[in-house]
This record gives sequence, structure tokens and C-alpha cells, in this order.
Amino acid sequence: MLRPFVTFLTLLVLWVLVAQVNHLLAETQVYLFIGGLFVAYAALALPLRDGLAAVLLGGLLFDSGAPVPFGTHALLFAAVHAIVFNIRDRLPRDETVARVIVALLANLGLFLALSFALIGRGPAPGTAWPRLIIDLACSQVFLALLAPWFFALQSRALVLTGAERDNLA
Amino acid sequence: MPSKRLDQARPFLTLIVVVAAWLIIPVVVKTFTRAGFFELQAPLNVAASYARDLQEYWSLRLHTNDELIEASRDLSRLNAQYEVAAQQNAGLQAEIERLQELLKLPAYAEYHSEHARVVRRDFSGWWQRIVIRKGRNYGIPVGAPVIFSGGVVGHVTEVYAYTSVVELISNPGVRLAGVVEGETQPISYQGGINPTFGNPRGVIEFVPLNVFANASAPKRLVTSGLGGVYPPGLTIGTVVKVEPSTDGLFKTGEVELDPRLSSLTEVTVLVPLNPE
Repeated sequence: MLRPFVTFLTLLVLWVLVAQVNHLLAETQVYLFIGGLFVAYAALALPLRDGLAAVLLGGLLFDSGAPVPFGTHALLFAAVHAIVFNIRDRLPRDETVARVIVALLANLGLFLALSFALIGRGPAPGTAWPRLIIDLACSQVFLALLAPWFFALQSRALVLTGAERDNLA
Repeated sequence: MPSKRLDQARPFLTLIVVVAAWLIIPVVVKTFTRAGFFELQAPLNVAASYARDLQEYWSLRLHTNDELIEASRDLSRLNAQYEVAAQQNAGLQAEIERLQELLKLPAYAEYHSEHARVVRRDFSGWWQRIVIRKGRNYGIPVGAPVIFSGGVVGHVTEVYAYTSVVELISNPGVRLAGVVEGETQPISYQGGINPTFGNPRGVIEFVPLNVFANASAPKRLVTSGLGGVYPPGLTIGTVVKVEPSTDGLFKTGEVELDPRLSSLTEVTVLVPLNPE
């Protein structure tokens, strides 16, 4: 119970930080999306139930501030978590580089899924793609820079709170 | 072998269970959870906005006395201008009331202004929203129009204990009725073109054929008052392009919105005095 809660707290910290960055970037109409980072560590390092619980809570955090049906992010995150969890034994999942690559791929998938789901709302969907592609490129660069620090934060948070003493799958 | 397969399928079986459980959870529970998660973040966002205000305060403290005297003088001049404008407004208001009485016209909806700081700007390619630092604690209702010195900002879509969410007119889903200044026929405005490093724009439809505008001779688009959300005469943006639509019956065009929409720090919520 402690592990999902601690992981969720680290996700909350990340969410607040990125919200502040997006607030500052609003003037340039650039938006950073880092959904992949919400999934990667939980799917690669935590047991199934703990990871899924943390990912669902993280998704609900996104959902509460977004004009989409409540649960959209949470279920998308859960789907990506299931895919990554299924292949994680075939990946060098203890290496930071592998974790960053998984986070980048997960982010790409989530961003595209949300874009295809939401782009129809606008008056000219075709004109929205250049903006979305720039947002995606900026998000991926930001995520790649932030991910090593965030994975370390999540690991340290679990160690400091004693949650790592539980059996890891 | 079957147990290994089952083990491999476990994440997906769990996902199916989660999706099924989510589908049967009552809407009330979901609504409550959404509000709960939003309220969980609200203190963090509000604290960050107070920190930004403090930062601004300390940067202002660095100004010299000469600069402050200069600013004070400019402010006095501005105040004098506003006092004259307020007197003219009072005269015009009295005239409107007299004519309404004389012609037995229904009165315009009345509002009181509630100024609010912007806590968070959330401008993605998918949605355009801001969170403001006033909510139920100041009687902000859902649907209230939000304005700033440049015209319409949007309307309140969600109200929480001490914050509210405002959907901007640059949001892809927003539609409202406007009129080109000086014309009477209403036209449909829809927001949603928000290029990177560019000004937000919207599109207009059902523009009468006798309306002409282009980048060198733009026209102001204002709210029509239809629909009951926005009072008439508020600036939406500038019509910079109109061209005949494919059906030939109307024109379509593009509206450039105020670039300050992307950097708002303070807005005004118009709270209806007599909500229907």
C-alpha cells in the first residue's frame, strides 16, 4: 500500500513542476506532455498491482484537470502499463537508458492516441498537426532530460520511506 | 506451459478487469473523484501563483523612486481620464434606462465584476484553459462570462472551493455568436487555431455576403448578446480574412484574437446579478 502511495506522491510533484513549466510556456503556445514518464518507472520497476495503482492515480491526476471524459488518461496509462509490464523481462530494465527509451516510446504512443481522439474538436484539424508535432518534439526532448532525475527521485523516495523492503516482483 | 501463458496474460487480464470496473462505477462517484483530485492539486497551484506574485513584488521593489514618481504621475492622468469616462458612462446608462422605460424594452442582464488572478495557464493543442484564484468562496457560477481589457476571455466551465476553470475563446470546442461591428446579422465564431509562436486565431462561418475584411482593412468582431452568456458589444477579435464559402450562400473567414490572451495574469468574471 505504501509503494503506490509514495510513487503517486512523486508523480504529484512531477505534475506540479510540469504544470508550472507549461504555465510559463503558454505565451509561446508550446505545451509539454510527459504522460510516458508517469508510466515508465511503475511498469518497469514495481509489481503489477502496485504499479497499476500508481499509474491509475497518476492518470486521474491528469484527468481532473483536462476537459476529457474522466478516466481517459487513467485508462490509457493503464493500457500502456500493461504493454510495458508484459515485455519488461525482455528489457534491461534496471538501466536508466532503457527506462528513458521506454518512457519516450510510451509518451509518443500516449500523445498520438490523445491527439487522434481530440483533434476532431477543432474547426480545422489539418492546421492543428504542425502545432501538435512541435509540442511532441519539445515534450520528448524535455522528457529525455528530466527522466533520469525523476527515476532517481522515485527510487530514492521508495528507499527513504522504507517501501523498497517489500518484495519486488 | 498454460500457467506461463496465463502469467504473460496477467497484465492484460488485470487491465480488462480495471476497464470493466471503471465502466460500472456510478457517475456520481466519478464526479466526486474528479473534484477530489482537482482540489488536491488546487493548493499547490495557488501556492505557486502566490510565489509568483511575491517574486513580482520583490522585482518591483527594485525600482527607483524616480521611476515610482513617474508611474504615479502617469496613473494620476489615467485616473482623471477614467473619471471623465465614468461620468459619461453614467449619463449613457441613464439614457438607456430612460429609453428602455419609454419603449418598454427588456433590460440588459446585469452583472457585478469579480476580478481574479490567473493561477495556471493550460494551453495545449488539444485545449486552452486557465485556472483562476476564485471559486465558490466568491460566488462564481458555472457559465459566467470572463473578460479582460482586450475583450472576451471565455467562460467559467468548472467551479471548485476556491478556484475556477475558464475555457478560453481560443479553445477548439468553443462556439459563440458574434457580429461584425456596424452590422446586425449574427455570425458563428469557433476558436481553435493556436499555432506555436503565433497569435491564437478562430474561424467564422455564416458571414453575410456584404461583409468585407482583409489584413489591411480588418474589422472588429464583437459579441452579439445572443445565447445569453456574453453581454453584447464585447470584443472577440479582429476579422482579417473573409472568402465565399463552398455553398456560395455565405462567407467564411478568420479571426485574429488578442495576443495578450496567452499571457493573462488577471481577468474579470461577470457574475450575473439575477441568474435565471
